[in-house]
Amino acid sequence: MATLGFRTANKRYKRLFWPMMALYVALILAAKWLVDEDTTPLWIRAGFAVATTAPLVAAIWAILRQARETDEYTRARQMRALAEAGAIVACGTFLVGFLQIFAVIGTIEVFWFGPAYFIAFGLSYYRNCMGPTV
Amino acid sequence: MKNILRALRTERGWSQAELADRLDVSRQSVNAIETGKYDPSLPLAFAIARLFGRGIEDIFDDGLDAAAAAE
Repeated sequence: MATLGFRTANKRYKRLFWPMMALYVALILAAKWLVDEDTTPLWIRAGFAVATTAPLVAAIWAILRQARETDEYTRARQMRALAEAGAIVACGTFLVGFLQIFAVIGTIEVFWFGPAYFIAFGLSYYRNCMGPTV
Repeated sequence: MKNILRALRTERGWSQAELADRLDVSRQSVNAIETGKYDPSLPLAFAIARLFGRGIEDIFDDGLDAAAAAE
């Protein structure tokens, strides 16, 4: 495992994460402007879906790379937050799934589990900052 | 684990951020070690000891008596 230290890891993270977020927003705006559900050919819509996912995959990779390269305490906090976010979203997925199976609620787009994961990750990461020993 | 990191740091007039810079860790790391919330790994403990020109055992205390532990 290549540990580079907090400063270098943070720089490398920002250098990849923020351009990818900017690209993601640009693609979302472009898709909103260019894609029409009824008239745009399927292959273009599929292309936009893949293209919009790509910067998110790169951003997630940036998070994992930073966790690998940063100092040990930050890494421990990040790993714990990633695991807790996964557990929370898994529980949420089961709950929503059963609510749908038992016809309590209608269909919810799977997409929203992604943002839910990142919100849970952020909250868990900052809670661990004040919390007990990692 | 108890330690005297805060005392050593303030002795030199360094802020937590300054010490974090010298160790190339986050400021939160320094805070967590000082408050006993996080025990550093051996390499980081050595880096801290080197920075202050002390032995690891002079800075960190696990509360166990070495003689008693050897028995």
